Amino acid sequence: MKEKTPKKYINPYLGGVLLGLVLLAANFISGRGLGASGAIKSCVVTAVTTISPSATESSDFLKEYGKAHAGSPMKNWLVFEMLGVIVGGFLSGAWAGRLNFKVEHSPKITSRKRLIMALSGGILFGFGSQLGRGCTSGSALSGMAVLSLGGFITMMAIFGTAFGLAYFFRKNWI
Amino acid sequence: MDIISENTNFLLAFIIGIGFGFVLEQSGFSSSRKLAGIFYGYDTVVLKVFFTAAITAMLGLLFFSLFGWVDLNLVYVNPTYLYSAIAGGVIMGVGFIMGGYCPGTSFCGASIGKIDALVFIGGLFIGVMIFGAGYSLWDQLYMAKFLGSPKVSETLGMSDGFFALLLILAALGMFWVAELAEKKFPSEEY
Amino acid sequence: MKPLVRLALFIVPLGLIIAAVPQNKTKPYKLTANQLLAEVNTRTQYIAPETVADMMLKKDPTLQLIDVRSQDEFEKFNLTGSINIPITDLLSDKYADVLDQDTKMNIFYSHGTIQANEAWMITRQLGYKNNYVLEGGLNYWFEAILNPQKPASTSSDEEFAKYDFRKSAGQALGGGAVAAQPMISAPVSGPVPPIQGAPKKKKAAGGC
Repeated sequence: MKEKTPKKYINPYLGGVLLGLVLLAANFISGRGLGASGAIKSCVVTAVTTISPSATESSDFLKEYGKAHAGSPMKNWLVFEMLGVIVGGFLSGAWAGRLNFKVEHSPKITSRKRLIMALSGGILFGFGSQLGRGCTSGSALSGMAVLSLGGFITMMAIFGTAFGLAYFFRKNWI
Repeated sequence: MDIISENTNFLLAFIIGIGFGFVLEQSGFSSSRKLAGIFYGYDTVVLKVFFTAAITAMLGLLFFSLFGWVDLNLVYVNPTYLYSAIAGGVIMGVGFIMGGYCPGTSFCGASIGKIDALVFIGGLFIGVMIFGAGYSLWDQLYMAKFLGSPKVSETLGMSDGFFALLLILAALGMFWVAELAEKKFPSEEY
Repeated sequence: MKPLVRLALFIVPLGLIIAAVPQNKTKPYKLTANQLLAEVNTRTQYIAPETVADMMLKKDPTLQLIDVRSQDEFEKFNLTGSINIPITDLLSDKYADVLDQDTKMNIFYSHGTIQANEAWMITRQLGYKNNYVLEGGLNYWFEAILNPQKPASTSSDEEFAKYDFRKSAGQALGGGAVAAQPMISAPVSGPVPPIQGAPKKKKAAGGC
């Protein structure tokens, strides 16, 4: 069977311009920027409320969100957007021949280590995104495009911290 | 905007999401090794895409406002809660260097089959739940120092356009340094 | 040519342009001509002087009278509790918060109704709510409230009630000795229109 080499990634500057245009379209059409962590919050509120409504009641954070989005926390701009992201990513991967299941990791560590790091990183990021009211897409990227001070501060905190700690995690990547 | 109905808005959100995911994946953001590269210098795709996108959208909005196609007062400006913005950012930074993903890119990676991305998403859920469950412990921090929704240009006392120009120049400088750094590493495709 | 150089050549000029050009601070009109004509034809912007007098007597906190004449004329005479926004300064930033809000009832007045109506038309088109015009302006105010005409003896009870109210209101508001009682029984003053709460800026919710 002939091995298909996947297509190359596009030039980052071109990617940036295209991404900027998508962000511009979002702002123009819906008056808001892109985002991601909010969709996770919607799912969590829905899941928790379905499994145990009293748990939602006992958390002000979840309760407020449930009230503000009465009817269905899943009927939310971000949730639909993230569904689109999944489809878009898939289409791109399919077209470029990059679809396959794998655990991506540096040759210097095992898959297991990588997955543990991914899980821990995810937990921290999930927590931090709620505290910071956004992640790199919603707060940093979209925030910067509208010149939000909060967006800039969060962005600098994220990248500054990551740069500062990079040395300690270098074995995972290099 | 009440010119379009809610359902149309959701459909458009979906379509915009498709564009978002497609461009991210095409740029290589579905790979955690590429994403982490910026912190070690071997792959500066994050820097280039991120800042170019922010500048493109920023210029786009400013020019649209100039032509009267957009009322900048109606566009959402993220609010600033000083302490939680910094604290949240720091925690996310740790999560980023450990996990190599952020929520948007993890969905992208998961959509092409990256298992570490899927695990990262699992972690996100857990992290959000922890935040929600223990909310009473940190709600003071979460609501502290609300500064409204100031723009960086306002805080620095300059016009939006002037700030955009400064950002463009700063970004170009960073890109140039980034390209110098990348030359030191062998080019590998992840 | 290197991609970076090409990118720079493209965005630096754009940046220079956007930095040099002054920001677009124009306030766009929100109502169409047809919508405005419909409102004008139903005369929804008018408030009767009796209604205003009633609010003044009851010390209604939602009342805000706005004198749109010049500063000199304002200083010579103005209705108690009113502020002065000369029509020439109507769109100045310092008055934006007074005109575009959802807690008070702003009532424009001038000598007659011409200037007050001008102010109302502009602010209404900008989409501001809760702004009204004092019917008849100061001229009618003097005539009706401060110097009410006794109705002919064949007039209806309502006319007399109105006259009584105006007389006592005029004395109270004009600085007379008689303390007037606000009208509770007869519906002399028209119903006070409700304050319309409008989200000041209709922003879409955003975030994470």
